[in-house]
Formats: sequence, C-alpha cells, structure tokens
Amino acid sequence: MIVAARARVCSRCPLFVWVLTPVLMLAGCWTAPVATVQPQGEPRLIQGAVALEPVKTLAVVSAVDVSSGTIALRTEGSADIATYKVGPEVSGLNDLKPGDVVQATLVQALDVYLLRDGQLPGAVGALAVDARVLRVDPSYRLLKLQYPDGRTDTFKVALGTRLEQMAPGDSVVIRPVAVLAMRRKS
Amino acid sequence: MRAPREGTLSFCPRAAAVIAAALAALAPLCAECQITPEQASQLRDATGDRVEALTILGGDYGIAGASFRSTGKFSFGESADASIAVTKLGGSGDIGDPQPLGSLAVGWQPRVQGNMGALDGTQTLHSSLVEGDVTEIRTYGIEFGGGARFWVTDRLSFAPTVMGLYGRSSESYTANSAFMRANLDKARELGLVDWEADTWTVITGVDIEYVMRWDRTIVSLSSLPVYYRTETFQSSNTHVNIRGDSGSWSNTIDVDIPLGMQFYGHELRSGGYYRWIGFYGDLKDGFQRSNLNEIHGRVALDFLNQLWKVQWIGIGASYLWGPNITGWSAGLDVVFRF
Repeated sequence: MIVAARARVCSRCPLFVWVLTPVLMLAGCWTAPVATVQPQGEPRLIQGAVALEPVKTLAVVSAVDVSSGTIALRTEGSADIATYKVGPEVSGLNDLKPGDVVQATLVQALDVYLLRDGQLPGAVGALAVDARVLRVDPSYRLLKLQYPDGRTDTFKVALGTRLEQMAPGDSVVIRPVAVLAMRRKS
Repeated sequence: MRAPREGTLSFCPRAAAVIAAALAALAPLCAECQITPEQASQLRDATGDRVEALTILGGDYGIAGASFRSTGKFSFGESADASIAVTKLGGSGDIGDPQPLGSLAVGWQPRVQGNMGALDGTQTLHSSLVEGDVTEIRTYGIEFGGGARFWVTDRLSFAPTVMGLYGRSSESYTANSAFMRANLDKARELGLVDWEADTWTVITGVDIEYVMRWDRTIVSLSSLPVYYRTETFQSSNTHVNIRGDSGSWSNTIDVDIPLGMQFYGHELRSGGYYRWIGFYGDLKDGFQRSNLNEIHGRVALDFLNQLWKVQWIGIGASYLWGPNITGWSAGLDVVFRF
C-alpha cells in the first residue's frame, strides 16, 4: 500500500524528484559561522574608526564630567564602562548622577584587526579586543559580532567600509565616540 | 517576508463560459427545463475547477495579482469583458539565522508563510442567449502555515512547507436577458448561479533557493513546486462541490543591487525579478492557461538593522504575459526579515 502510494505521488510530481535529488546529494557542506577561527591573511589593522549607525540603548551612568562634557556609561548587557563625549544637543547633564538609568543614543566606532595569536606584529602587548567578527554581509553593510561571553550584536556600518576584507574571526575594538541623545528613565 | 502586494486581475477565466455553456445546453430543453446527467457532470466539474482556481488566486500568496487584459477568446466562444480585482497582504520568511541541525552539517531555520486575500470580479456575458447578463463573484481567502529552511551549503537551501487555506466564494447573477429571466430558478437549482461555497485547501511545496553574491549584488535563483488539494466543506447547493488537485511551479531569478547612495540615512537599492509560473491540474483548467510570465522592477530604501524587522521599503511594478494574456501590477514593496 505504501509503495503504491509513493509511486502515485512520484508519477504525479516528477519535478520534486528531479529537483530534490541533486539538492540532497549536495547535503553536508553547510558550516555554522564561528568567530573563534583564525582568519587568513597577514596580521594588520584592516580598518580603523569604522563608523556605525547610532544605536539606542539603556545604560547606567557611572560618572559625569560636566566641565569636559563627557559621561561614563555602562550599557545594557555589558560589564565594561565606556566614556563618551556628550553632543551639544544633549541637555540636563547637570541633573544626572551615578546610578541613573538613561535611554541613550550612542555613536560608536570599530577598529577591525586581523591578529595572529591576539597580537599585531611590532605592537607592544596584546590588544584589548572587545569582540570578534561572526558574520559579514557586505550587501546590507552588516557586521555581526560575538562577545567573549557569547552574546552577539549586529551593527550597520557606513558606506565605504572595507567589508570585503573582513571575515569571521577578525578582532574588533569598540570605541565610544559620542552621545547624541539621552533621556533619564524613571 | 514580503508584503503587501496588490493588484487587479481581469482575465476572466471560465466564469462566464461555464454559465453560457450551461444555459446554451438548457436552451433546446427549455420546454422541459431538463439537463442530461452528462451535462450536469461537466458543469459540476467546470464550476469546481473555477471555484478552486479563484480560491487559490484570491487566497494564496504565491500566485500574483495583477491587472490583466485577455487578447483571446475563451472556450464556448466567449469573449473577454470582465474585470477581477485581487488584493493580497501576505508573505513568507525565514526566522533568525540558520542553526546547526543536530550533528549534521546542515543548517536550518523556521519558516512561516501567510496571506489574506480578496477577489472581487464582475463579468458581463456576451452570448446570444444571455446577452447583457452580469455575473459577480467574490472570494475571500486566508492562509497560514510554515515549515523549515534547510541549508545544505552556504548558498543552497530548500524549504518544505505545509499551509492551510480557508476560502469563501459566492456568486450572484443579474439576469437581464429574456431567456435567463425565464430560467433563473432552474439555473439556481443546478448550482450555476447564486451559490456560496466554503472550501479548505492544503498546500504543500518546496522552495529551493540558490544565492550568489557578486560584489555587493545578490542574485537568487529559486524554484517552487506547489501542490494544492481543495475540498468543499459547505456549500449552498449540492452541485457546487469542489474536490480537486492542482499544481503550480514557479521559477524565479531575482537581482538585488545596492546603489551606493543614501537618502535620509538609508541606502537606495534597486532590483527585480523574472518569474515563470506553470499551472497544472484543475488550476490550469480553471484559469484556462498553462503558464504566466512576470518581470518585476523595484526601487527601495534599505532599512535593515535600522527599522525593526524591516529589510526594505520601496515601490515596485510588474509586467505579466502568457498565452493570450498580458497584464501589469504596481504597489508598495515591503520586505521583512525576522
């Protein structure tokens, strides 16, 4: 009964057989992206100060320096504290104090390196790498990064970024640039 | 996931032809107002094919809506004088990034598909017996389903899916001809006019896709064979009883080109596709067409990673052609990525 049913389906839909057979024969070639691989090529700075689209995120205020116009923030999900320049359009800096939770629009930039054993030739000491490249989408200018704790983030990079030279495993240093907007959360 | 698509379609398939044929068959029997069992059987089949085809046309996302113009004649000598507006909102999409499938070197990701559609058609009949009569048909369809996409290489994937489509079709007839005014009750009794039918359709398909990248341009080749099984679960007339098998096979080549210029912080993209759709079984009989070609162009702004789940927003237009038929559609082109 089962054989007859299969024969009937195949005779009615031969396209499935013809199309699926080569597909299945090619199975087994997919590999999941891995950020811990050693990328190919000479160790170097691939591109510095890669501009990112501003990101809106929750952050906890660590310190405020009104005189220099800077603020130290610990962003949601991150253990590190980064210091940002406060943009001229941000007001109310005097009212903020450490421990306040804010919704901030942050500008960050990336330095992307191809490292060998975590180091650049000629550099003193190891770079403080924040994340590694997990996936690159040059068409939509997306860079997916993986942090040491396994979290991932996808960033939209600016036009002109040399994404064609970047690959999974490249090392990334995230540099805080500026706060464009900020609103204290109750 | 792509949505919405909207268009009007006016390739009046078999609608009038069936009625005209039936009434022509009635003509010599008018004194007794009888119809032979063979004729009744043919009519039932034809009406079933028609309802099945229109339900799929109105409710399934895979079949394009457009504004068509027929340049040929249908069977029974009917000429085209009809319009059908098809409005659809729906799409399909793969969720998240591919994940490893157990210990196999195959990636997979869930896939969902859905659509809501409405079809509203009017045809004025031009046949000696029923000249000037008007038949109107409305179909509503809602479908939902899903499956999974399996990646066997970084470029090649296939996505088997199962969907369910609920359809509700109704037909109303305005008798202007003397003949039809005299035989309207008989035509109703035969289920030729003024009927309603609720149908369900099970839709299975496999979307096979091959993606190539050239610089920043993405070229996608896809092939989608689909099988439809439709049955009535309720109708206003026992003669309107649909139980049929249909198939379609669409093959598409899509090009997605980033243009490197920005508007309001979003990169402009262009592209389009060519698609060939073949119809099989009752779908072919119901449409009275074996295939349809579509060429589509679009201009869109890239919103990926900038607006929640939106890949692009733009405008697009299509030109369609097939045996004895040409058409066009235009509308908003929105693609989501989950």
